[in-house]
Amino acid sequence: MNDKPASSRSVLRRIVILVGVLVGIVVYAIGWQVTDISLEETQDPTRQEVMQRALRELFAPDIFAQERESIVTSANIMLGCQEGQTVEQPERTEHYVIITPDCGQRGDVISVEGFGFEPDSDVFLRWVPPTGQKRPLVRADIDGEGHFLTQIEVPGIRGDAGQTHQIEAEGSWPVGLPRLSQTTLLVLEKIVETIFLALMATTIAVPIAVLLSFFSARNLMRQIRTPLGTALIGFVLVPVGGWLGSLLLMPVVQLGLTWGKGLALGLIGAVAGIAAYGLVARYANALDLPTGHFQFHLRRVGMNLLLLVVFVFVFGAVAGICVWLGEQLQEGILGYLGNFLGTLGLLLELVAGAVAWLAGALLAATIGMEFSRDWLRHLAEPASSVLGAVLGALGGALLLALMAAIANQAALLGILPPFIAATLAMQLVGMIYKRWVSRGRPQAGRAHATARLILSWVAAVIVFALTYAFLDTGRSLIDGRLPAATVWDLGLVSIQTFTAKAMLIGAVLGGLGGFLAGTQSSFPLGMALYNTSRTILNALRAVEPLIMGIVFVIWVGIGPFAGVLALTLHSIAALGKLYSEQTENIDPGPLEAIQATGATWLQTVVYAVIPQIVPPYIAFTMYRWDINVRMSTIIGFVGGGGIGFLLQQQINLLRYKDAGVAVLAIAIVVSILDYASASIRERIV
Amino acid sequence: MLKIEHLTKVYDTGVQALDDVSFEIPDGQFVVIIGLSGSGKSTLLRCINRLIDPTEGRIIWNGLDITAATEEDLRQIRRRIGMIFQQFNLIKRSSVITNVLAGRLGYTNPAWSLVNHFSKVDYQEALAKLDRVGIRDKAYVRADELSGGQQQRVGIARALMQDPELMLADEPVASLDPATSHSVMKYLELLNREDGITILCSLHFLSLARTYADRIIALKDGRLEFDGLPDEIDDARFRAIYGEDAVRVEIA
Repeated sequence: MNDKPASSRSVLRRIVILVGVLVGIVVYAIGWQVTDISLEETQDPTRQEVMQRALRELFAPDIFAQERESIVTSANIMLGCQEGQTVEQPERTEHYVIITPDCGQRGDVISVEGFGFEPDSDVFLRWVPPTGQKRPLVRADIDGEGHFLTQIEVPGIRGDAGQTHQIEAEGSWPVGLPRLSQTTLLVLEKIVETIFLALMATTIAVPIAVLLSFFSARNLMRQIRTPLGTALIGFVLVPVGGWLGSLLLMPVVQLGLTWGKGLALGLIGAVAGIAAYGLVARYANALDLPTGHFQFHLRRVGMNLLLLVVFVFVFGAVAGICVWLGEQLQEGILGYLGNFLGTLGLLLELVAGAVAWLAGALLAATIGMEFSRDWLRHLAEPASSVLGAVLGALGGALLLALMAAIANQAALLGILPPFIAATLAMQLVGMIYKRWVSRGRPQAGRAHATARLILSWVAAVIVFALTYAFLDTGRSLIDGRLPAATVWDLGLVSIQTFTAKAMLIGAVLGGLGGFLAGTQSSFPLGMALYNTSRTILNALRAVEPLIMGIVFVIWVGIGPFAGVLALTLHSIAALGKLYSEQTENIDPGPLEAIQATGATWLQTVVYAVIPQIVPPYIAFTMYRWDINVRMSTIIGFVGGGGIGFLLQQQINLLRYKDAGVAVLAIAIVVSILDYASASIRERIV
Repeated sequence: MLKIEHLTKVYDTGVQALDDVSFEIPDGQFVVIIGLSGSGKSTLLRCINRLIDPTEGRIIWNGLDITAATEEDLRQIRRRIGMIFQQFNLIKRSSVITNVLAGRLGYTNPAWSLVNHFSKVDYQEALAKLDRVGIRDKAYVRADELSGGQQQRVGIARALMQDPELMLADEPVASLDPATSHSVMKYLELLNREDGITILCSLHFLSLARTYADRIIALKDGRLEFDGLPDEIDDARFRAIYGEDAVRVEIA
């Protein structure tokens, strides 16, 4: 391969470098033009002056305010000088002003001198015509002896010659101690709001992000595999279990709620439930049952069932108790606590239905998987394929029905059914290839891998196009209309034609896949979860927090709550990604060692993963808080509360001195957080 | 009795790590696996407790087919097979006692162990195992504050907590100096002699292998090159295992 002479290679190399540099210059030049970099504007004197003024004000923030005392005195001046006429001056008191000459007309330069003012303060001069409409002139410094001398130009004042006008001098000086200005107080209030806003957003995001990060860590999920039949049974049972959960577990949640709202019963019930579970667990775990035995599974399913029933009851009871506490603590100094608990209780009550559904779904799926695992293992070949086809068809139909339901929500989401169908087709072809073409030749390596990849992509594109046509996706994607609402009447039930078609596609692809793979083939359940969770995180992260801010402002109104929601959502995505990368970078050694002891997956995570990720997780959380403080200023611009909202108002009113205070406050808080997060990071990592 | 039948492992990358390896190990034997780096020693050991799933072949242990075990059965099997590693694989930020107790995870109630709760018996047992490897006084020290030799002894204590019948040792002394190496190997010998634990240990150095092994298995490019008594390895065999250019290095 490398038989070219060294010199020609190096010439080629030089040419490549040269071309690279040229391309770089061209790209940069285009960028220069596109971004409109212009030096003319920057040199325009008026713009420079305006900018200077704005900057000066920004850098002269109104942090402090001080009481001022002032004296006002004035002297007369005649408009237009007339021979022999003198101007009467007021009687001189301890502070007085002398104007020389004491007459003049527009454009004349006259000098104004004052005596007896407060030393080292300043004086403000105004022109007072007989009409009384004062006109500001200049500001002058008073020297150490209480004297000032300044030149002014007689302004263009309407008036007859010979008329007597006045020049008023107002000397003012601070008295008493300086105090924080009104602006500063407002900024302080808002910066506290901002810090809490960022804190709430960060802390609410952390648990969700941690959970998602485990699902998004390849090294943890890769090992989770389960026979295809088991995975499909679990998946198909999810909606059944959810329905049963809503039906059977919801009353338990309601009972907990009702009891909890009376406190005593709720507390007793919750404690009794947990104690009962503990006792049963102790007894049940003491039984030595052989693995794979029916009773072994029965114990596990029974324990799960009991655990979930106790859990949903305790959940309801906690919600009820929170509501009760909220009602009790409305008054007095603990009012804010009552408000917090009350709202929390209402929130829990609100999601109770979802919790019951999820608990039911989880339970049904685990029961199905638990019992099917051993049973499916002994299934022979034709039965395995047939059952695989049936389960695959059901699973595929369910998956596509879910996608159709999502596609019914918004036009753009119409892309999901064909996309998922294409993904299924890709897996399907990969599987077929592995089974019939490269079978039994594991060493065959790269050529087969490439062929498989190309064929998979071709299949994906074809299936995408077919599904697109069959489901009339163009209606959603191009016309921007939701799928047609036409209904297909089946007598007992009626189903939207669009959903039915999607389910049909899912059933065909899933059935085919299930038939080919059979129930025993190993399904990468972990990687499926990994990909789903990754996709959600990436999609969330791609949405600008500013847009989220706008959406939430529309939903919950202007204020910090909207900001909290927007930043929470964005933090979940950002932290989930950062956390999962940390989890993927852990030392695999301990993981292996803990697995080798016979630990379960969850135990492995708790013992081998969590100790390794706690320090970086804390560091990233601090870092996120820091970012959220900065970001909340941006969110504030669209109405998300906090200091950003104030800053926007100040800027819109051109009150740069006030804006300066806000900018300073942000800078101080951000640097403190920056320093704190850095030092915490140093200490714990 | 551990029976390896036609064990083959091909990684997804196409690398063939093991090629039709078969042998039997009766209970209580101290077997050392030698071979160059990349000869398949680590893969072989990891196939036995299925940290790596073999491509073909079977592993039968006490009549149980490990290769066909369900997840549930596999955990039951794994908890009777201790394993120690070249890099010790301790949880560095946790205390020594927590590391040792982790060896008990396969036996404990999963719910309790998740909140780091172990029974009193387990605690006493853990302290006893630490006593046995001579570092009871380090029980509440963070694992990464120990020296390499001490860390490997924690690794042994952790494996002992599993109450193992078989101990897999993946180059347990490769990261240690010669003197410490011998002390660690002596602990393994002790477990073999006193507790009757079958030991399957991979080593780089033939001299160490000769000192401790009842039997030596040599792998070369994933194939079984030699299986026999330590004394049977003469110069010709040595070159067959380690290559023509190899020079014997004695470890004191």
